[in-house]
Amino acid sequence: MSQDAVYLRLRNRYFVNPNSKVLLGEIAQIIAPEQHEKALKRLFIYQINKEDEHLVVIDSMHIIKKLTEHFPQLHIESIGSPQIIVEIIPSSTKKKPHAIAVAFVWIILFVGSGLAIMNFHHDVSMEEVHKRIYYLITGIHKKDPLILQIPYSLGIGLGMILFFNHVFKKKINEEPSPLEVEMFLYQQNLDQYVVLNENEQNRKKKQ
Amino acid sequence: MMQLFQFIIIIMIGLAGGLAVGSGMVAFITVLDIIPRLSQLIKGYQYITWFQRALMIGAVSFTWFDFRGTVFHLPSFLTVIIGSFAGIFVGMLAGALTEVLNVLPILAKRLNMAHVIIILLMAMVFGKIAGSLFHWLIYIPN
Repeated sequence: MSQDAVYLRLRNRYFVNPNSKVLLGEIAQIIAPEQHEKALKRLFIYQINKEDEHLVVIDSMHIIKKLTEHFPQLHIESIGSPQIIVEIIPSSTKKKPHAIAVAFVWIILFVGSGLAIMNFHHDVSMEEVHKRIYYLITGIHKKDPLILQIPYSLGIGLGMILFFNHVFKKKINEEPSPLEVEMFLYQQNLDQYVVLNENEQNRKKKQ
Repeated sequence: MMQLFQFIIIIMIGLAGGLAVGSGMVAFITVLDIIPRLSQLIKGYQYITWFQRALMIGAVSFTWFDFRGTVFHLPSFLTVIIGSFAGIFVGMLAGALTEVLNVLPILAKRLNMAHVIIILLMAMVFGKIAGSLFHWLIYIPN
């Protein structure tokens, strides 16, 4: 029995072109007896069709069913995640967004964050606080303590860069920055949602 | 007797207010993960208790100087240093808030802009600097 064991581990995510066939070897790592390995890797799992818009979730149950149909003598051990998200990438969306679109978003963020910091300064009476700090340190009442405020403004930019761990493309150290972690978590949440919802729909369709 | 009663009530109110504001501030800074972030940058996790003390001592002493009106009569160029540090801290606050609100990951995913995310981050950084400078140099004087 143990000689005929097949160990199956689904990958996290797989990208395909529309209308292509998904084979087992593409979506999973396999350890199997040598005589079966090639046939297993070429086992047809799923045909992408037009109804699957962006994503298909393939459940390991579906894969095991296919395997037992074609290789009834094998004993299948599925380890790792119970499903894989197959992302369908039409050739049209492969290209990068237009430079104008990027510039547009850039300006939104630039103006928006500038406005946000002004609102913040008003909200917390930063002007009064700066005047007060200037007075407490020097003993002089000054209407516009620019000597304090200009370094403060530059410091805001430096602080953001420090927080996100990037000086343009150069990283300050090797660990992932909060932004990278946040992108990862966001993707993981999306995946979790997709796995739960799309999967159920698939099952309903088949019944 | 009445005076003593008033005295106690006022102390109670002051202490309660301070407790609420102090714990609120600590909670805010904690949610935004600024101390862990700074420790990660300098690989100094073992000093994390010192950073917490710095936060606490800073809050208490600045409150004291402000309320008592303690004037130091120091040369004005020292405010450059204070201003820079205050700015860095506010910048980190702003960065952390943006991150909590998930602005950049959503932009990257929705608008397919993951590869230019650094440029977009720089937009926010320069936007903050420009907005702040505009505020102090042009907006307030006029």
